Amino acid sequence: MSFDLTPTDDLRQILDAAQTMLDTHYPVARLRTDGQTDPMEPLAEFGTFLLALPEDAGGAGFSVVEEALLHVSFGRHLVSPSALAMAIAARIALDAGRDDLAAGIGGGQITVCTAIAAPDGPLLCEPAGTTYALVVADDGLTLRPLDGATQAPVTSMGHGRSMTRLTALPDPSTDLRAKVETARLHTLLCAAQLLGIATGARDLAVDYAMTREQFGRPIGSFQAIKHHCADMAIGVEMLSAQLDMAAIAARDGADDAAFQIAALACLAPRIALENARTGIQIHGGIGFSAEADAQLYLKQAHVLRHCLLAGDLLSLPAPMAPFERQPA
Amino acid sequence: MRLDPGAADLDFRQKARTWLAGNVPHAPAPPDGQASRAYALDWLAKLHAGGWSGLAWPEAYGGKGLTPGRLLTWYEEYVRARAPSTLDCTFVALNHAGPTLIACGTEDQKAFHLPRILEGRSIWCQGFSEPGAGSDLASLKTTGRVDGCDLVINGQKIWSSFADIADYQELLIRTEPGSKRHKGLSWVICDMSLPGITVRPIRNMAGVSHFAEVFYDDVRIPLTQVVGGLHDGWTTAMTTLGFERRTAAMALQLELSVRIEDLIARAAPAPGSAMADRLADLRAEAAAIRAMSYRTALREPATPFDGSVVRLAFAELAQRIHRAAMDVLGPDALTDGQWVHEYLESYSETIAGGTAEIQRNIIAERMLGLPREPRA
Repeated sequence: MSFDLTPTDDLRQILDAAQTMLDTHYPVARLRTDGQTDPMEPLAEFGTFLLALPEDAGGAGFSVVEEALLHVSFGRHLVSPSALAMAIAARIALDAGRDDLAAGIGGGQITVCTAIAAPDGPLLCEPAGTTYALVVADDGLTLRPLDGATQAPVTSMGHGRSMTRLTALPDPSTDLRAKVETARLHTLLCAAQLLGIATGARDLAVDYAMTREQFGRPIGSFQAIKHHCADMAIGVEMLSAQLDMAAIAARDGADDAAFQIAALACLAPRIALENARTGIQIHGGIGFSAEADAQLYLKQAHVLRHCLLAGDLLSLPAPMAPFERQPA
Repeated sequence: MRLDPGAADLDFRQKARTWLAGNVPHAPAPPDGQASRAYALDWLAKLHAGGWSGLAWPEAYGGKGLTPGRLLTWYEEYVRARAPSTLDCTFVALNHAGPTLIACGTEDQKAFHLPRILEGRSIWCQGFSEPGAGSDLASLKTTGRVDGCDLVINGQKIWSSFADIADYQELLIRTEPGSKRHKGLSWVICDMSLPGITVRPIRNMAGVSHFAEVFYDDVRIPLTQVVGGLHDGWTTAMTTLGFERRTAAMALQLELSVRIEDLIARAAPAPGSAMADRLADLRAEAAAIRAMSYRTALREPATPFDGSVVRLAFAELAQRIHRAAMDVLGPDALTDGQWVHEYLESYSETIAGGTAEIQRNIIAERMLGLPREPRA
């Protein structure tokens, strides 16, 4: 069938296997301790960074559709943005003919962190042990070696994940720029992780609304709470339907791929931040505390929104533009 | 997961595009009354003659039995060609009454009504809501007393769209004396020309009279007009709503993607302006509504809540798009015109066919599994 949005068996198997790996190595509760750095080895062993690369480049030959939905699972587990950086860095290396580098990143021997361009110097997310940074700036993505770089410690938002600031930059002549299609893929996967955040925040809030009792009843029985939960579900459904459209268009090189990804990028941070906010609110006092996980989703949504390169949606042709009418 | 049209799909799209380009009426639809009936029936007859009516209906009942993928293609072409809104006075017949008869009707009922509906020869309205039974539909009080071979109907319905120009009504009434809630109801075909029926059109806030109150004073309807079992009308009514929530709204949802393009063209916002940001957000949401229509149509197994979610997301987005249009128009928003009319009409989106609040209850309770509200 040429029109079918049913998840394939392959996809379900990948996601089931990923769930086991994520539950083992990246339970959300790991982030209750400040300054965490996620190891990249379990992700590399899973084949994360080679999943959608062509088989002759050492990849598994799956498509960006499977990869995007895998990154939704990463988002649910609030996996370090390094996972996103490495998936993209492997492609940048391949495009540049640096097969050795691509293989090293794919196997997890070479690790890459995300660097978010900022006025006082790029902010490196979880940089410990990494030798490359994927720099995200308004003008695109650059893979940059970190040898010779000097970094200053930074206290991250709410004392969360480990972060430094790049104070001196290495020689830019060794930098590798991402192609437009690769940068678009980065947007797709980043938005997929934001969907994961929105989904995780929804599930946590719904679980809490079912168990927490006030006035002798679960708070989720009250419309004031259940309607918040419904709104979180609507956000998730909108974003996830759009992710499918965008991922399929990207895989197929469809005419509307840029439009679908730009629309996705417009929605993703908004919905993730809103669901994270609502999730905290539904938790009440405990939601405001560092002991509950609700706040972790909010912080990760803020990190990822700055990893997202949003395009100019209005400048792109719309797939559903009306036809010009012939005069009567 | 695939969205790649084959040669036959592309050919279908081209045929649809060509036919629509040659046949979509240039004159706008009259807002209400007999003129709107004539316009809608003409258009439906034209669709039928062209082989484009009953596309979702099974072939055994005169439909085309199109796959969901083909339906999406047709409606995309339909809304891009600016064909008449599908939410006109033929909507209930094509999307509620017809499918309900297909699912629950007798052979006689089907043989009489289905061709009339598909060929553009009869208009239906819905008689569900009452002054005291809105969101709480099961509290309805209009009665049908069994008397020999007839039901004798007494009571009142309200918000019955196009009742003033309809030939038939899907009428939900209490037929078992003393019954409560969902039990003891019947779904009957009501001929709107019967003695004892009084229709009073109600003007809506946009200044047109789509909907009406209907009064029943000893209206005699033969028992042969009951659809589904006598006293089992709730089952039949839920079949109706099931159809409504699955595919009936596809064209309306896709049409939002056209309306936002119209608004962007009209606003021509300066790059980087606040209006540009706002319209970009709305454009992205319209794209997501289209994506949800695709998912609802093309993902197996169909989950019963996809329809509720997309319906609510659509309704609230339609209101935001029209609200933005009022800002684009500036003081011209104070005068009547298409955008202003549609803006006012958009207030019905979160009320008609189940309020946004009821939809949120459904999503929270049935999709997320949250505990039900306390009920009487």
